[in-house]
Amino acid sequence: MHPILARAERLTAYLTAWLVVAVLLAAVVTRQDLGWMEALAILLPMCLVYAFACLSAWYVCRATPLTTSSVVRVLASSGLAAIVASGLWLALMRFWVSALSLLPAFATTGASFTSHEPLLFATGVLLFLLALTVHYLLLAFELAREAEQRQLRMEVLAREAELRALRAQVDPHFLFNSLNSISALTAVDPAGARRMCVLLADFLRDTLNVSSRSQIELVEELALTDRFLGIEQVRFGDRLQVERHVDATAGQCRVPPLLLQPLVENAVTHGIAGLLEGGVIRLDVSRRDGRLSIAIENPRDAESSPPARRGVGLENVRQRLMAMFGGNARLETRAADGRYRVELALPCLTDD
Amino acid sequence: MTDTPSPRLRIAIVDDEALARAVLREYLTASSEVEIVAECQNGFEAVKVVSELHPDLLFLDVQMPKLDGFEVLELVGCDVAVVFTTAYDQYALRAFEVHAVDYLLKPFSAERLAEALSRARERLQRGERLPTQEIVAEARGGQSGHAGRVLVRDGSRVHVLSIEKIDYVQAQDDYVSFRCEGKDYLKDQTLAQVEAALDPAKFVRIHRSYLLNLDRLARVETDERENRLAVLSDGRKLPVSRAGYARLSARL
Repeated sequence: MHPILARAERLTAYLTAWLVVAVLLAAVVTRQDLGWMEALAILLPMCLVYAFACLSAWYVCRATPLTTSSVVRVLASSGLAAIVASGLWLALMRFWVSALSLLPAFATTGASFTSHEPLLFATGVLLFLLALTVHYLLLAFELAREAEQRQLRMEVLAREAELRALRAQVDPHFLFNSLNSISALTAVDPAGARRMCVLLADFLRDTLNVSSRSQIELVEELALTDRFLGIEQVRFGDRLQVERHVDATAGQCRVPPLLLQPLVENAVTHGIAGLLEGGVIRLDVSRRDGRLSIAIENPRDAESSPPARRGVGLENVRQRLMAMFGGNARLETRAADGRYRVELALPCLTDD
Repeated sequence: MTDTPSPRLRIAIVDDEALARAVLREYLTASSEVEIVAECQNGFEAVKVVSELHPDLLFLDVQMPKLDGFEVLELVGCDVAVVFTTAYDQYALRAFEVHAVDYLLKPFSAERLAEALSRARERLQRGERLPTQEIVAEARGGQSGHAGRVLVRDGSRVHVLSIEKIDYVQAQDDYVSFRCEGKDYLKDQTLAQVEAALDPAKFVRIHRSYLLNLDRLARVETDERENRLAVLSDGRKLPVSRAGYARLSARL
């Protein structure tokens, strides 16, 4: 679509500019033998026609874009187009003048007009070249904006893809081990096997449900982590114990989905699972002055080297936290004396 | 005439999860051809059981605290047949495939277990032994970095040597000896294998028979017969070969 014709306000501004051009040209030609009325009678309609003719410069610009065409080609096609346009304009003007001359008031106009032809032709060429320049500028702006929009669109898509990838996925280890627990329970404790099936199904459903949303209430996230820990407790038995302290008012705060689950999962796989006797996972959640503080602490085998995979899950949580809260949220980890602690601090956003 | 029944396979189950042990126990007790001699909750118990009860076959979980399945294999792999069990571990699975180690993916069926048992029986009859070191190296391939500790089996006990505490490693006839806190620990391994597992920035092969912890080196001196000697911080002297001296100089 033509950038000037596309918007009414642009077309108005463009035609106003041409009106000024027409009046200025009229002023030039009246300094000799043409009267004001004659000059305007010729130039006003002719400039209006030429204004539209100059819009065709857009197609010249499109056909010879600055970025891909050689300078010679751009200059040649611009010059040729300007000369042809101006020549046609002059021919039309002659025709118009001869038509005007039929009227008694313009009887002498034809004769006086001839002396102005070289000036008008030159002006026509220059105006067309000016129009070309303006169109080239508009084209450049358009391309720049398109590129910018494309860039933005790409960024949004990339971000979405990243978030999709970041959404913690159920660890295959967890799933297979849970199924193995169920397989064992079917013989020794059928009711327990059924409970475990229900727990696992609820957990998977919760995970699917929350991961399709951009934010959830903390209470939902806590329910999900409870289910996760419940399943792991079946697997690890007495080795896994959980202590929870959650402020009743903290539940309404909004958080990215699966914010805590990967951290709790790390606490189990990199903490409890590495200890012969197991231990206690502590989860503390408090809300104060519009801020939410969450701490997850687990014992770990001090002799074992820190695992590489924990970094990935932690980085994932950090990025999603930053995506939602920017610099307003913080994630810190501490390892000392055989204990590992992750602390989150974030704004407490609620619906009301 | 009576058929002599094939002897019952003596089996130990090694898994840190009670329910995982329960599945194996359930399947195995249904068979009259096997006998469960022990159930172990961790790798240390497994090493002890292998030393004391000499089972024919271990069902060995890969992921366990303190000593994982591969470390157990490294310590006892020469004395017992092994079938690994795991839920999911791509590096372990690759190692198993490459070296034709039998394994069970949890959860598994009774039929799959029966197959593993009959294959293990065949292997035992052929007297086959697994290439323990190669399997361990393959499975560790997924983890970057060098060993932070060395495991040494002393009968039914396992010593865990932190590499910072090792002064040097000496090649003996068919094994190596780790000098650590005033004691020598023997391990059935070659010095080249030890050298490959340890961080080359910390341990230097100063001699055909010696791998030295650089932190222990006080100075290098030359005796009256132009032999170079590494003097350790405790005063002990180790021979340095010509090539060893070149490696040492490059590192210092």
